[in-house]
Formats: sequence, structure tokens, C-alpha cells
Amino acid sequence: MRYSARMLTPEVVEQTLSAAKAGGADFAELYAERWYRRNLRTIDGTVREANSGIQYGAGVRLFYGNDVIYGYTNDLSAGSLVELATTLTKARDGAGSVDAQGRGGLDFRYERESGLHAPQQPFDSHDKRYRLERLRELDAGARIAPEIKQVEATLLEWEQDVLVANTEGAWVEDKRVRTRLIGQAIASDGIETQTGHAGPGLSVGLELFDLHSPQSVGEKAAQLALTNLRAKPAPAGTMPVVLGNGFGGVIFHEALGHLLETTSVAKKTSVLSDLVGEQVASPAVTYIDDGTTRNGWGSSEFDDEGMRTERTVLIENGILKSYMVDRMGGMLTGYRPTGSGRRQDYTFAPTSRMRNTFIAPGSTPVEDLFEGIEFGLYATTLGGGQVRPGSGEYNFAVREGYIIRNGKIEEPVRGAMLVGKGPESIKRIDAVSSDLANEPGMCGSLSGSLPVEVGQPHLRVSEIIVGGEA
Amino acid sequence: MTRDEAIRYILDKASARNLTVEILASEERELNIDTHDGRISEFKQASNGGVGLRLVEGGKVGYAWTEELEPHALEWVLDEALENALLQDEDSGFLPTGSDLGRTDLLTEGLSAPIVEKAALARNVEETLKQDPRYDKTQTVRYVEREQQKEIASTLGARGGYRVGMAGVMSSFVMREAESIKQAIGLNVSKEFHNLDPTVTAQEVLEKTGRLLGARPLATGRYRAYLEPHVVGQLLRVLIFSFSGKNLVEGRSRLADKLGETIASSQLTLLDEPNHAQGTNQPFDSEGTPTRQTVLIEGGVMRSFLHNSWTARQSGQENTGHASRSYKGTLGVAPTNLVIAPGSGVTVDDGVVVTDLMGVHAGANPISGDVSLQAFGLRAEGGESYPVENFVISGNLFRILESITGLGAESEWDAMTNAQSPLVEIESLSFGGA
Repeated sequence: MRYSARMLTPEVVEQTLSAAKAGGADFAELYAERWYRRNLRTIDGTVREANSGIQYGAGVRLFYGNDVIYGYTNDLSAGSLVELATTLTKARDGAGSVDAQGRGGLDFRYERESGLHAPQQPFDSHDKRYRLERLRELDAGARIAPEIKQVEATLLEWEQDVLVANTEGAWVEDKRVRTRLIGQAIASDGIETQTGHAGPGLSVGLELFDLHSPQSVGEKAAQLALTNLRAKPAPAGTMPVVLGNGFGGVIFHEALGHLLETTSVAKKTSVLSDLVGEQVASPAVTYIDDGTTRNGWGSSEFDDEGMRTERTVLIENGILKSYMVDRMGGMLTGYRPTGSGRRQDYTFAPTSRMRNTFIAPGSTPVEDLFEGIEFGLYATTLGGGQVRPGSGEYNFAVREGYIIRNGKIEEPVRGAMLVGKGPESIKRIDAVSSDLANEPGMCGSLSGSLPVEVGQPHLRVSEIIVGGEA
Repeated sequence: MTRDEAIRYILDKASARNLTVEILASEERELNIDTHDGRISEFKQASNGGVGLRLVEGGKVGYAWTEELEPHALEWVLDEALENALLQDEDSGFLPTGSDLGRTDLLTEGLSAPIVEKAALARNVEETLKQDPRYDKTQTVRYVEREQQKEIASTLGARGGYRVGMAGVMSSFVMREAESIKQAIGLNVSKEFHNLDPTVTAQEVLEKTGRLLGARPLATGRYRAYLEPHVVGQLLRVLIFSFSGKNLVEGRSRLADKLGETIASSQLTLLDEPNHAQGTNQPFDSEGTPTRQTVLIEGGVMRSFLHNSWTARQSGQENTGHASRSYKGTLGVAPTNLVIAPGSGVTVDDGVVVTDLMGVHAGANPISGDVSLQAFGLRAEGGESYPVENFVISGNLFRILESITGLGAESEWDAMTNAQSPLVEIESLSFGGA
């Protein structure tokens, strides 16, 4: 049973924002959330973890010119919030206080979500036993070979109510419901142990089980673990790489996406700063960040600054068209905000972040990508990665990979790591296929860990450094 | 309700319903001051916390937590924890019998200083950084401060609390020399604000990153490796997975049957030290078990796993006081500060000094021990050394442990990984580069 009373009244919000104005802030914003979270995890069909929680708090953000002051608390009483806002204004030493706007200065424009991503099967439509049975189906689905020694199944359920109001009169309420099912299989032949993983997630309710049957999720994880078990250590060296569709897109999330967030661009610490209109990638590359994808894992109707989300074309045929811009990023760079202000929760001030980001489909048939490759790597599934935006240096792990020899996909290899500099790699994409797929992930950066989708069709990079066994 | 009132409320409701519960409550205060070009560019002051329940019903354990401390939320938490418990098959759970653990203050006046002085510290670090001709652009220079109050209470009589805290400076900026660009990341922490020295903090990170400028490609091959303390700390955080009593019980530890056996070079001794002078400390763990030093590897021989009360009982081993739980989490096992004892000294002659690893969360498999990680470092040959880049080290951690051929005579604390280590020499490691 959930408690759904409105978190804050307009009077409390107005008092808080007015206190910030009275303290000389140019702009003030209040963000509040109540977030019901559940996770259920089984190992070999037995419950190992069942946890439920209510995350609850508010963050106050003030701008003084281009400077940001942020604070948060779990105490959402009027007294506590006004005190927080007042304390924050005092942290600004020597900031001359302007006249208070006083009460009644704000005329809120009330907006709320239209239900674009609303769940078909809300969380209270089934009990916990029902969930446990689905996790056991995942487990059963993974038992495809005697080498599968252990199966872990996890269900995450989030139901988040968000309120954002600011001194420009915005008052936005958004509800975000997300469900994710994760299967991990461990395979062992007595000598080697390898893991495989599959984890569909969407902005939906329990209908996720209909969209991605638990059995198929388990089977996919198990297949991957078995492939890695028979895989040989990857070779090391520089070679052409064909990246699989779906989670292959994480390379450009890391090596390109992060460099296009105004958080990096505004401070000019991104190597892609000040390059709008320039050719930054191969003409085969069109790169899009879309916060509106129906039921997408990274979708929401509003961003965490109360702005409507949108579909932003970042790169079109290799030409840089736009950055991902949050409110402060817009002030600093002059670019139009793109509804990209996101934060993990009330404990973070928002920054510009990716939502559902993908390389648009091209026209090269998948089989043509392999043609002419004497020796290379086919990376079908990638793990996470990292990037340093200043230098563009990135790395990411190959979860499932195969050797390409004379244009043919041959034996599986494991332990490969792709390494390079983003701006160089995106110029080396020489062919893009049409089979776009998106996959969910969690992206960690300045404003915390956020649900995002990464995606791409199959594509070829003419040369990447592959780390493996020398 | 205040946190204390909420704890009382839950204990009363639980007792009335004849439920066995343990409550972990914590409150954290956080202060961040960012400077950019000499001005305060971001300021964050915050406090938050919550209460987390561990409920045991007929040996079945359920959890729930809340940050909202109103009756509707506290009732929801009690109901959810019970529902979650009843979902379990496992019925070997229990709560340790509690005692009065008292109140400890490990912070005292360590963070007492005016905010202007804290902001000045960050500003001074940035200023010192900018004096270096190789300094290019700042991403973040941040003064950070954390203070945490933890409370434990149970229907079985546990009651106590402690307060800890730290201050530090984090810097992240770009260095450039001709065409070579490197991103620098530094972190310096102390339990005493007044022990933080802006010049030392800045010089350390400038030196660590500056020596990597002008890096050349490294030829693919096998080299002798010299792992710096930060790199050792990064790898220890992966290795420790296999020392966790929880992973042992869940069948994920490669070291499951290795107690008393040689798993590493005889030069290696590895400790977990909860009272480390520079590390994070706690008088008791998240179940109220007093903490103490644990020897994990002694002269290459595996001596212990890390346990909480449940994993100790399940595996028939001793509880080492490593229960870990935040109010939002479930009971687990976690190391405190890891320490590798120094050795007789290492001479760097021919090989690669590895100074930093990237992508450890993705490129290391804690279960198998396989690692394939982007690395940075210096190539040493013929009595000289020069920086190298764009390469990956690969291997298996368990095999790397066996191929340790030397340990430096002095060890260094690494605040980023909560570990202390000397320079570690590895006989031969695979390097994939140009």
C-alpha cells in the first residue's frame, strides 16, 4: 500500500523559494521526491535478498550568477526547508541581499505527466509470490547445460514521484515507474569459471515479464556464460573491430556522449567543445539522444529541472549539431536547454546527462561489415567502460567476442578490452548497418547513477587497440 | 519524528507484534566547496539519513528502510520487512544477542574550522596547481567534508552509536605538454582539517600526472611489472571479493577451500586493519560486533575470510567483525582498510611501472580473477624511464599473487582505495599495446 499524498503544498514551496530570493539568489529551485524501491534477488531459485525502501527528501539549488549552491534534507517540514534555503544563502559570503520578493510573488504554472510511460501492470497488481515465481522461471530458463553452476535472478522495481518548482514559476510533478529484470549465470567446466549476464529494463510495470519472458532472459545469460567458457584469451594488438548492435553502443556512450554534455563542454574540458557545425565523426555517424522514447529505460516526461524532455540530434552525418544542455549549461554556453538536466536523486544537483542515446541506422548489410577483414575482432556484447573527457581516453570490456579471420566469424575469445581515444575512434567508423537495438544500463557521473539506454546498429571501426594476452 | 523517536516507535511496535528486529540508523552531514578560477563555483551543504530494519521471523530475514519518518512510513517498513522475510526459504537467520555498546566520538573537533578557511584551502590548491606550466584546465577542485553518526538498536538489547568524519581535497584537471594531454585526479584526506596542506596536496597530484606527459606507445609483450600502491589498492578491491565470507557461503569464492594453503608468494602478508590511523574507523561493525585486525594472508598462506555473524556460523568459522550494512542495504561483509606489509625493497631496472588503472569495475572479473585493464605507467629500461600509454595489462589475479617477486621497503597509504601498500614487483605480466 502506498501513500500518495502530495509531498509539499504550494505555500511551503513558495516560502522556501522566497527565502532563497531574500538571500540574494538569482534563481532558486526546489526538488522533492518520494521513491518506493524494491528489489528481490534469488540464487538458484532461493531468495537471497528481499528489500524495500522509501527514499524521501528535498534538494534546494540556488544560482548566484553562474555559481551553484546546493543543499538537501530528509525533513520536508516548512521550517526545515526554509532553514536550509536560508543557510545556503549565508554560505555565499558577501553576497549582498536584495529585497525579498515576499510571499505571493510566484504564480506557479502547474504541470504533470500525461501518463506516456505509465505502467500497464502496476506494482500492486501482483503479490510478492508472483514475482518470486517469475524469478524462478528465469532460473529454469538458464539451466541449458550441465556447466551452468549457478543462476542469480534480480528484480528491481522503482516508483518515483518527483516535484520540481522554481522561481520562474515552474511547478512540475512527474511519476516514473521502472522495472528491470537481471539474470546472471555462472558456468564452470571444473577448470575455468565464466559469467554471462542479461538485464532488460524499461519504464514499465510488471508487464516487463510479458515483453521479456524471464525464461528467455535466463537462457541469454546462460548462453553467454557458456560461450565465454569455451573462449580462448583474446589476442592483443591493433585491429579492425565490428561492434554488435545494442549494448555495443556503450563505446559511444563513453567516448562520445559524455564529451557532448555541457557539464564538460562549458568548462571546455571536453575535446569536443566549440565544434558545433564541424565534422567530428565519420559521415556514417548520426548520433541521437532521445528522452521521449516510449517506455524507454532512460525516458521521462520531464527532466529533473522540470523541463519537458525531447529528442536531440547530437551529430548528423558526422557534423556536430547540438550538445546535451541543462539549465546551467545553457547559461554558460548560450545553447538552448534540451531537457537533459538529470540527477540520481535529491542528494545530487542536476547536470546535463544522457537519456536514451544511440547511433542511427545506416544502410550497410551486416554481412558486408566483415568483408575484407583479414584479422579482427567481432565484439557482440560489451560490458561497462570509462572515459576521461579531457583527453577522450576510454576503455571498455568485451563480454562476448569472436575472432574475424578472412571475413569469417571464427572462435570466441574472452578478456578483451577495447582502448582508445573517443574522437579518433568515431572518425574511424567506416560502415554502419541498419539493425538498431537499445539496451538499458546505469550511467555514473557527476549527478549520480542514472538509468540510460545505449544503442546502435552493427558497425565497423577500422582500427581499435585490443588488450588481451600478448 | 526525530530519528530517536522513530527508533523508539519501531521497537515499541515490533515488541507489541512480537517481532524480532534490529534497527540501523544513520545520519550523514556533507559539505562540498568547489572552486574555479579562484571563486566558489559550487557549494553543497546537506544532511540526510534514515532507518533500516532487519527483521527475523522463524529464522527468515527480511529488510526494509525509510528516510521518511512519519507513522505511515514506519508502519510500511515494518510490514514490508515482514513480507520480505516470509518470502525466504532460508531459515537459518538470527540476530546476535545485543549489548550496550556505548557512545564513541571518533571525530571530536577534527572538522572545526570556519567555512571561509575550508574554501580557502580549495582555492590555495587550485592556485598552486595553476603555477605549474603544464597545468591546462580545471575540471574540479573540491573541498569535501563528511560526518556520520551511526546508531544501532535491537529488540534483543543492542544499543549504541558512534560518530566519524573526514575532510579532504579532491582535484581533477587537465595537464598538457606540447601535444600530450593527460587528465589528473588527486585525493587527499585527513580526519583533521588542519592536517591538510594545500601545497603538498597539489604537488603530489602534479607530480603523479606530470610524469606521464609525453607518453609513447608501449610495444605489446610480456614485461616485469612494478605496481604502485594505488594500483595495488585497485587490484586488492577486486581480490577481496574472494575473501568475503558472504561470497564463500554463496559459492562464489575461488578461495573456498584454501584456508591454511599457500595462495601467494611467501613474501606477501595482507591484513585488514579497522584501526588504521589514516583509514576509516569504526568501533563496532553493523551488527555491533567489536572490530579488530584480521590477518588474511600471512607469508603467502591464506589465514582467514572476512565474516559477519551469519556467514561465520554458516561456514563454521570465527566472526571477524566485518558485518556491513547501510540503513538502505542488507547484511553483507566488507573490508575496512587493507594493508600489505612492506618487504625488503625493490630495484626498478627493466620493466613497466604501472601507476594507474582505468575501468576496474568493467575490466576485472572478481569471480574468476581475470583482469584486462587499461593502464598508465613508465617504461624502465637501461637505467632510464619514460612514460607510456594506450596499453592494457591482462592476467589472472590469483596467478599474479603467486608471481610477486619483490616488495618495496616502504609503504604508502592510498586514500582512493583505502589501502596501504609498498611497490609490488611482478615477475612477468602481459601488456597489450601498439
